[in-house]
Amino acid sequence: MTAKEKEWITRLQMIQLQSENPYLEDYYYQEYYRRMEAKLAEEELGTRSKREPPKLTTPYITKTDSYTPVVHIEGSLGQVAVSTCYSPRRAISAVHAVQAQSPLEFLPFLLISKGKKLLARLLPFLKHESAQTVLHIVTRNLPTLMNRDTEEALPVLYPALRNVIGGLTFSQLIGVLKDLTSSESQTIFVICLFCLQFGLSLLYALLSQGEKLLSSGVPLEPSIGDFEAWTDTIFQVAGQLSQCSLVEPLLLPSNLLTLFCRYLDKRTVHQLKSNME
Amino acid sequence: MNYVPGTASLIDDIDKKHLVLLRDGRTLIGFLRSIDQFANLVFHQTVERIHVGKKFGDIPRGIFIVRGENVVLLGEIDVDKPCDTVLQQVSIEEILEEQRLQQQAKQETEKVKMQVLKDRGLSIPKADNLDEY
Repeated sequence: MTAKEKEWITRLQMIQLQSENPYLEDYYYQEYYRRMEAKLAEEELGTRSKREPPKLTTPYITKTDSYTPVVHIEGSLGQVAVSTCYSPRRAISAVHAVQAQSPLEFLPFLLISKGKKLLARLLPFLKHESAQTVLHIVTRNLPTLMNRDTEEALPVLYPALRNVIGGLTFSQLIGVLKDLTSSESQTIFVICLFCLQFGLSLLYALLSQGEKLLSSGVPLEPSIGDFEAWTDTIFQVAGQLSQCSLVEPLLLPSNLLTLFCRYLDKRTVHQLKSNME
Repeated sequence: MNYVPGTASLIDDIDKKHLVLLRDGRTLIGFLRSIDQFANLVFHQTVERIHVGKKFGDIPRGIFIVRGENVVLLGEIDVDKPCDTVLQQVSIEEILEEQRLQQQAKQETEKVKMQVLKDRGLSIPKADNLDEY
């Protein structure tokens, strides 16, 4: 064995020996050494030469309490779990994954049918602002959602969203309507809102809420341009509704016709009525 | 010279003749050439010594690597000490034959014992089947 190898083993063994309180952990050696020193000191009281007995000195290496439970090797596809006595094995790093900071991160959840069901159950418990954020995400990404709704799971969200809509103020409502109607392509707009059940139901719910607010007599506190946007939307929607063949919605609010009567002529209203039924 | 005063280490035993008793009952004699932190041992010019009664026989084995956990006892052989032993060295064939006979006798007594116990409804598991736990 080379000297280096011997040194390495010695060093390894020394590291294992070091301790914070040697008098507690290595009492017998400490005591033995103390006695030996005392005896030597006594003997050397006559002679002036200082002869120190060899003492065990462990190398000073700071103990690191931190350890990386999961080691990621560069270029590898997975992680290697380092198991110590403090943590046998960390199989999944679940801690970092769930931190949705931006609302956009909800979208992946909504694309899965399970995510939709989950969100539908969750919505009633959210605070109003958070619930509205969800509504905004849905309305802004409606084309995407409807495109990828292969299992037709979107309708599960309808009841919960309808309740959220029921709590919107006029300004907030206008905001949502703007989101819906501001899609770039007209065909997408038409398809989403009229030809697909969920979109149509959502639209009806929004219009119904608007009508409810207007006819309730409660002061609306609208922002500038709200009323114009509202009437514009009505005309736009009515125009489309009267021309397309509509699917049956999840729920037909009762005050829609009243709303249309207010803004549109009798003929259009009559046409809408027959279309919607 | 012990690099580590107040401790026990195998470093001072290197290149000296040793006798080691293993967990499976074998006895090896050889020069200890290398060790590691687990007390794995490397023996040079190893000889397996079989003892049966007052007879023994040496089988040369060459280089042996023993895993640390399998060591029961390890001790340095003092080559200077005069060898005054009553043990009689015999040839390999003879000692192996003796060993075989010894094993056979042992198995037979064991068999009888097990049968007797079985008749009484007792069973004692064999030690080598048991784990440490």
